[in-house]
Amino acid sequence: MRLPPFEYQAPSTLDEALKIKRGQGAAAQILAGGTDLIVNFKHRLFSPATVISLNNIAELKRIEVTHDALVLGAGASLAEVASHPAVNEHFPILVKAIDSIGALGIQRFRGTIGGNLLLQPRCIFYNQSHYWRMSKGLCHRTGGKDCLALEGSDSCHSICSGDTVPTLLALSAQLALAGGGGKRVAPLAEFFTGRGESPWNIMPEEILTEIRIPLPWAPISWSYQRLALRPAVDFPLVNAAAAAIVEKGKLEHFRLVIAALGPAPMVLREVEARLKGAAPTREALDLAQDAAVRVAEGVVVANASASKEYRIQMAGALARRATGEALGLA
Amino acid sequence: MQKHLLTMRVNGEQVELAVRPNATLLDVLREDLELTGVKEGCSEGACGACAVLMNNEPIRSCLTLALEANGAEILTIEGLATGGRLHPLQEAFVEQGAVQCGFCTPGMILSSKALLDRNPQPNDEDIKTALAGSFCRCTGYAKILEAVRAARDGDVGNEGS
Repeated sequence: MRLPPFEYQAPSTLDEALKIKRGQGAAAQILAGGTDLIVNFKHRLFSPATVISLNNIAELKRIEVTHDALVLGAGASLAEVASHPAVNEHFPILVKAIDSIGALGIQRFRGTIGGNLLLQPRCIFYNQSHYWRMSKGLCHRTGGKDCLALEGSDSCHSICSGDTVPTLLALSAQLALAGGGGKRVAPLAEFFTGRGESPWNIMPEEILTEIRIPLPWAPISWSYQRLALRPAVDFPLVNAAAAAIVEKGKLEHFRLVIAALGPAPMVLREVEARLKGAAPTREALDLAQDAAVRVAEGVVVANASASKEYRIQMAGALARRATGEALGLA
Repeated sequence: MQKHLLTMRVNGEQVELAVRPNATLLDVLREDLELTGVKEGCSEGACGACAVLMNNEPIRSCLTLALEANGAEILTIEGLATGGRLHPLQEAFVEQGAVQCGFCTPGMILSSKALLDRNPQPNDEDIKTALAGSFCRCTGYAKILEAVRAARDGDVGNEGS
């Protein structure tokens, strides 16, 4: 399968990359590992005028621990992140999430942490060849005004499918983005728009540079849960992450996230509010499951390789498992 | 499209050629360098037939722009035998009957080599994880697993004995 024609630039500094991006905006597309983007190019989902490779920019591959955070360069490969001692020491949940991504020979060495976070949301009506799509109408993402998965919908319901997304969100990660006006830092929780056709709050001239995970003030207990038809290659049908800090028998911090449902990951704040400050009991499991099912009902449409109803029920099951494991109730 | 100069080492030899920006590493290896042991299967990364080693790591050549290999060391199946002698993994695949149609074999062997270089004593789970995403449509997985085990254990070179 051939790629569409494009010009190629591989700057060696972030400043150079930003300059090209400023000049060309959305016509220039950022290439990190390319394990997903190249497939999208082949399917003609994107045909950029210019591809800007981040491969030569060493500053984007740094991984370091500051006094209060683990800082991951967006261009660090999944293998580099998963094998880094500081990541293993502070956030083994992230290693588990990375281990679950696709297959070792596909994403592990080429794929990047920033790329997994900025994975284009997926839909069975969208992630198809140009030929296949020609037999259907256009959708919100391909230049049309409808959704092939939910007729009459005014926005796109593609699925946020990155395995690291709920995990990083459960860990309260922040993103650093560089653009025309310098660097800005934004909570990951505010990064997703909920609209598949423009899934992130990112400007055309901006480049994701860092993912910052605050170092926890006490040991975190955690869980990452993922459901897929096959463990290798397949994207998650549903995933969930939970992070908890239990001190003196009381739940001091709890965050539960379900994702791979719609365009944005869902933080179950209501569960967090109800459980905080109390001793963890098995009631938490029912609470998490019910809340997840309710949230999933409002988000999931029939656009994956499993049915809508199955994914809604499994969102509940995975939220329950994640809560149980993180709280030591499993 | 402006062509760019690509310099890389392929199977130990320095190569330098002008390539289109939209050429994949697979295109250049097969069409420019005539290394047709690199196979194009699904062309979307899912099958593993196009796997090569880049700086000793298994990657999909169909998902890698050729220009991204600039300065890299590439190993294809053609570079595995030395001095006319097959690599132990190749011998093991022959001896264990792990080759049927042969289309997946280069990718399987290279992925296995990357595994054994990283972890000389992999268990069955390690081998399966390393080969996950490499499809054998003849479904000869059991023999492939046996071949990797044999190579791991140095149990090769017994043909005809």
